[in-house]
Formats: sequence, C-alpha cells, structure tokens
Amino acid sequence: MQTIALIGNPNCGKTTLFNTLTGTTAYVGNWPGVTVEKKEGLVNGHRILDLPGIYSLSPYSPEEKLSRRYILDEQPDLIIDVIDATNLERSLYLTTQLAELGRPLLLALNMEDLLEKEGIRIDARRLSQMTGCPVVQISASKGTGINALLEEIERSLEQKKLPMQPLFSNFIERYITTIIEDDYLHQIPKGRQMRWAAIKLLEADELFLSSMPAPPQAFQTYIEQARKELVEHYDDDVQAIIIDQRYKVAEHIAKDCQVRTKKAKQFNFDNLATSKFGAIPLFIAIMAAVFYLSIGLVGGYTTGWLESFFAFASVHIQTLADAMQVHPLLSGILVDGIIAGVGAVLTFVPQLFVLFLLLSILEDCGYMARIAFIMDRLMRSMGLSGKSIIPLVIGTGCSVPAIMSSRTIEHQKQRELTVIVTPFIPCGAKMPVFALMLTYFFPGKWFIAPLIYLLGILAVIITGLLARALDKHKETNAFILELPRYQIPAAKNVWLQTKDRTLGFIQKAGTIILLSSVIIYLLSSYSFTLQAVDAESSMLAILGRLISPLLAPLGFGFWQASVALLTGIAAKESIVSTLSVTIGTASLGSFFTPDTALSYMTFILLSSPCIAAISAMFKELGSKRKLLFAVLWQTGFAYVAALIIRSATLLLL
Amino acid sequence: MMQMTMDELTVGQKGAVKAINAPKQLKRRLMDMGFTKGVGVEVVKLAPMGDPMEVSLRGYHLCLRKAEARAIELR
Repeated sequence: MQTIALIGNPNCGKTTLFNTLTGTTAYVGNWPGVTVEKKEGLVNGHRILDLPGIYSLSPYSPEEKLSRRYILDEQPDLIIDVIDATNLERSLYLTTQLAELGRPLLLALNMEDLLEKEGIRIDARRLSQMTGCPVVQISASKGTGINALLEEIERSLEQKKLPMQPLFSNFIERYITTIIEDDYLHQIPKGRQMRWAAIKLLEADELFLSSMPAPPQAFQTYIEQARKELVEHYDDDVQAIIIDQRYKVAEHIAKDCQVRTKKAKQFNFDNLATSKFGAIPLFIAIMAAVFYLSIGLVGGYTTGWLESFFAFASVHIQTLADAMQVHPLLSGILVDGIIAGVGAVLTFVPQLFVLFLLLSILEDCGYMARIAFIMDRLMRSMGLSGKSIIPLVIGTGCSVPAIMSSRTIEHQKQRELTVIVTPFIPCGAKMPVFALMLTYFFPGKWFIAPLIYLLGILAVIITGLLARALDKHKETNAFILELPRYQIPAAKNVWLQTKDRTLGFIQKAGTIILLSSVIIYLLSSYSFTLQAVDAESSMLAILGRLISPLLAPLGFGFWQASVALLTGIAAKESIVSTLSVTIGTASLGSFFTPDTALSYMTFILLSSPCIAAISAMFKELGSKRKLLFAVLWQTGFAYVAALIIRSATLLLL
Repeated sequence: MMQMTMDELTVGQKGAVKAINAPKQLKRRLMDMGFTKGVGVEVVKLAPMGDPMEVSLRGYHLCLRKAEARAIELR
C-alpha cells in the first residue's frame, strides 16, 4: 500500500477534498478552522493522510513542525499540494518549500469554479511546465475534476517523478552549489535532499542543525563566511533572504501562468459583518438566532413530544412486564433505569442536531474569522485573543472540539487560558439539566436561560481579567489571521460534521449513559449486603453521603445531588438521567427549592467538565500540573459562584 | 523623509513594504504571510474598535493588530 499526504494552506479546501476522496468513512475532524488532528482515509486502496493547514514549513508552529517532520521522516510516496487557485501566489510559496523535500508532488488547483467569478484565468499546462509537477484543476466543493485527479494520483505513484527545484538568484545559488559539493553534506540523514540541506544550513535552521554532526572547522568557517556575505549583499538576515527568494519564484510562476482580468470584487455582507456599529450587534443577533432556532423553536416542539413518547413507552412496558410476571428487578432496570435515564437524554437530540448544524455552517462559511477580527480588541483586554472567541462559540455545542480549536492561537499563555475558560460556556450536554430545572422551578421565566449563558461568559471574563492582572510580563503577542473569502459551506462538510457530533451524543446515550443508568438503578435499589432496600439506605445513598457534606453549604447536601454530580463527570447528560432514576423528575420539588436549584445549576455550569473534555484539556495543556490547576480552578470557581448565587437569591426572594 | 509604518495608513491607502523591523519569529511569520520587500499592501478596513486592521496583499485579505503593523516599514 502506498501513502499519500494531503497538504495545503488553511482555507484551501483541503478538508473538503479529503472528504470527497475518502468518502464518509474517514472523517474524524470535529475540529473547526484548521485540520489539526491526524486524519486518515483510503483512496483507490492507498492510504491518504490529511496534514494540518499551514502557510510555510518554518520550524516555529507545532503544525508546521509536524508536517515537515512527517514528510521528511515518513517519506510519503506522493504529496498532494492543494492550492487555492484564487490565491495562487501565496499558495505557491508553500509549494516552493515542498518541492525541496524529495518527494513526488502533485498540484491540485482547487476552487476552479470560482476563477471565472474572480476574473482569473490559469494556464495549468504552463504551471505544470514551470514546476515540473502534474497539475489537475478541481473543485472539491462541486466535485469536479476528481476523476482526473484520481487518474493523476495513479500516474504519479507509478512514475515517482520528482518536482523541479525552485532556483534562487545566482548570488545565492553559488553558495548552495559549493555547499552541496562538500563532503560534510553527505552525512545528512537518509531521505533528505542535498539542496534542501544546503539551504537549511545557510538559514541556520535549528531543527536541521540539531540532526547533524558538528561540521569540520574549515567548513564551518565557510558557512559563516557565506552567511556574512549574504547578509551584506541583501542587507537582511538569511532566513528573510530565502523567504524573499521563494516569494520571487512564486511571483514569477504566478505572473506567467495567471491572467487577472478584473479586480476581485468587494464582499457585500462583510460591509455589515465588520462595520463599526453593526458588527457586534450582528454577532449577538446571529448567536441569539442560533439558540432560538435550535433550543427555542425545534427544542420547544420536540422535547414535549419525545417526553410524552418515553412516558407512554414506560407505562406500557411496565404494564406488559407486570402482565408477563417479569421479575421486578428486570422491569425496574428497564423502566426506571434505562428508559428513565436514556430517555431523558435522548429528548434533546433534535435540538442539539439543529445547534450542531448551525454552528458547523458558521464555522464553514468564513464568518468565524470575522468574529475573531471584530472581537479581538475586547478579548485582548481580558488577556485573551480574538481567536479565543472561536472556541467559546463552538463550546456552546460541545467543549471537546472547542478546546481543540484553540490550537490556532499562537501564544501559549493565551491558548492555555482559552482552554481553561472554554468549559465555562455551557455545552449542549448541560442543556438537559438546565431545561429540567428551569421548567420545574421557574416555568414561564424565560429570562433565566439567557442569564445562565451570561453567567458562563462572566466566568470567562473574570478568569481572564484575573489572569491578566497576575501576568507580570504583560507581553503582547501576534494576532495574524487570514480573512478567507466568504463561501457557501460545502453541504458534505456540514452534514458530516453535524452527523458526527449528533451521533457522538446518541452514542453516549446508548453506552455511558445506558450503563450508568443501570448501575445507578442497581446501586440505588440495593444495600451493600445486596438486600433490596429503600433508596435511602442503598449503596448509592451511602456513597453519595460521603461527599454531600461538602456540598451542604451550597444547599444541595443530599446524596442524590452528589451522586448526580459524580455521574456528570462521565457525561453531563448523566446528571439528568441520575436525577430521574434516584429522585424522579416529578418530585424534584421535595428535594430542591428555587434557590438551591439555581445554586445547583450554577455549580454544574461552572465546575469541571466531563471526562472527554478533561482529556481534551489535558492534550492541549500538555501537563498534569496545569490540568490539575484548571480543574481545581473551575470547580473552586463553581463552588464560590454557587455560594454567592444562593446567598443572593435567599436575600432577594 | 520620516519613515512610515503600515499602522499609519488610513483605510483605502496603499503602500509598498520596505523592511520588517520585528523579532525573528514575528518577522518570519509576517514574511511567510507574504510581507516581503516591495510587495504592495492596502488597508481595507479597521475593526469596530479601531484595531486590528484588515489589509489586502498578494490578492488576499489578512488581519493583524496595529502593534504588528507597526513592524512593517513602508516606502
């Protein structure tokens, strides 16, 4: 089996192409904006790998390092460079770097369908001549040119032809030639190209130098001399000179292959989306519309309907079980355990589906980058970056992809802070418990639900301001972000992403929540001596009472609430199913009062997220100490906030 | 003549890059995005709160903060 690597700039349509080539089976990317996870699939029986979207192969960002190391060490049989044809010059800059890695290279000119509208014509044959690479024009979103691409993939895998090397100015080429001729360069690791190594040597690339033995004195002197002469000649540092040369090559090729007949037209929507006074109200309106459509409209219709369906089902199954004289233990597990627990969670599938759908449209259409643009100034004053807004928005769906999307934030401290605050934004899985509490204790008080989101945002702001105040260095950092063209989201991407996230939710209902419902039912029906007992003296009650004293000051010091919180660590939806199994959703009033319900919701909103989100946090924070701090901070914050909320409501009510 | 930096451009104004005066990593980052000597840039708009700014270069749009734009010297 041969291996193909897919690479290209962010926003070049690489993920869409990957989805088109591999079909539905290979998609694992819940993560928006850029492709950061390792995604694999099969195309024509070859293994195809989706590398992160990058602009360059410099050794600075983790994505760039990863891509570079992968190509050099794993030696894929073919690299497919996906090029946004409407952005040829900048895309070719990456191509000039890929061409030096010694692997066969195939250029996929994507967005062919947009060229005419943008007033661009590209001579693909000329491009192929100038780069020495086969070129195929495609439109990944429209699905055109894919057959030609597949044929070209086969041909390239067979021929294994290497691309032409981009040539720099004679002044530099002289040094490169001399270096290549030196014996020292024959010690480069296997698979590395001489020319690439020579350039890295001149650039003093740290990653490369560390992979080489120390050069002999005379050679070292020569390199240093060469660097000095280059710096003097160009009046710039060597890395900058090489970048400049690469862009000159890219400019030269683009100029020769491309005709721009009219200027790219102005975006119209953008005039509103980023306008001085309209931008932020529009953002708020869009988010409000997302929640109204999913939770309000669709949720309003479907929740009641599904609830009565599950109630109907449990009554009839119970009757049937009684008629068939099924053992009460079995019918109990089925009706009071599984149907009560899983049903309470499944009720939310339709509205979450709509929420995930709308969020993934937002992610795919190019608006997210604009939100980052308009919110950056505000976010910066809280020690965050404009890019932090993207995880926060996605976090309203699920914290896991949200935490992962924080990877686009370059600055480490801001990235870590974003990871820590993202779970404060209530995710879809917390919605069931809020809905349960709100409809029971505050019927008709519609304004409380938005207040929950506001409280989450407040927690983000407070944490951000504190972190900023405590940061001694007050370092400023770069915020550089491409504003991609607005586009109609590729239906396939949106569908796959929505389906993935919704199925993930359903899958949890069928596994973790099913299992925990059964276990909770059993634990709450039996004592440690395995006698069928009252819930009050059950194993679960005894376990719950171990931690409930801690929670007593918050007003929910009874074991059912503590146990529900514990199962919430597995999945937040479990809180509802546990409460339904141990208390029963109809008798919440004999345990909670409005003030303790508020304090309970506050605690759930802000305390440590579910295990999936915790492991995502661990991955992004990269250290157990930081993870521990994050979880303690979240839970501590939740404790104090719940205490304050409860005292405040007691005073006010 | 006084040297001019990109953050001083107003919306709609154009310029050409002369040099980048920034620490190594930021400089490399800006150059990777296409800010090389002689390339033409145009300020497209400013964010609602006046910062960051949206510029167009090499046929695409990019946003960056004024602090970074200050590192880009124009001629």
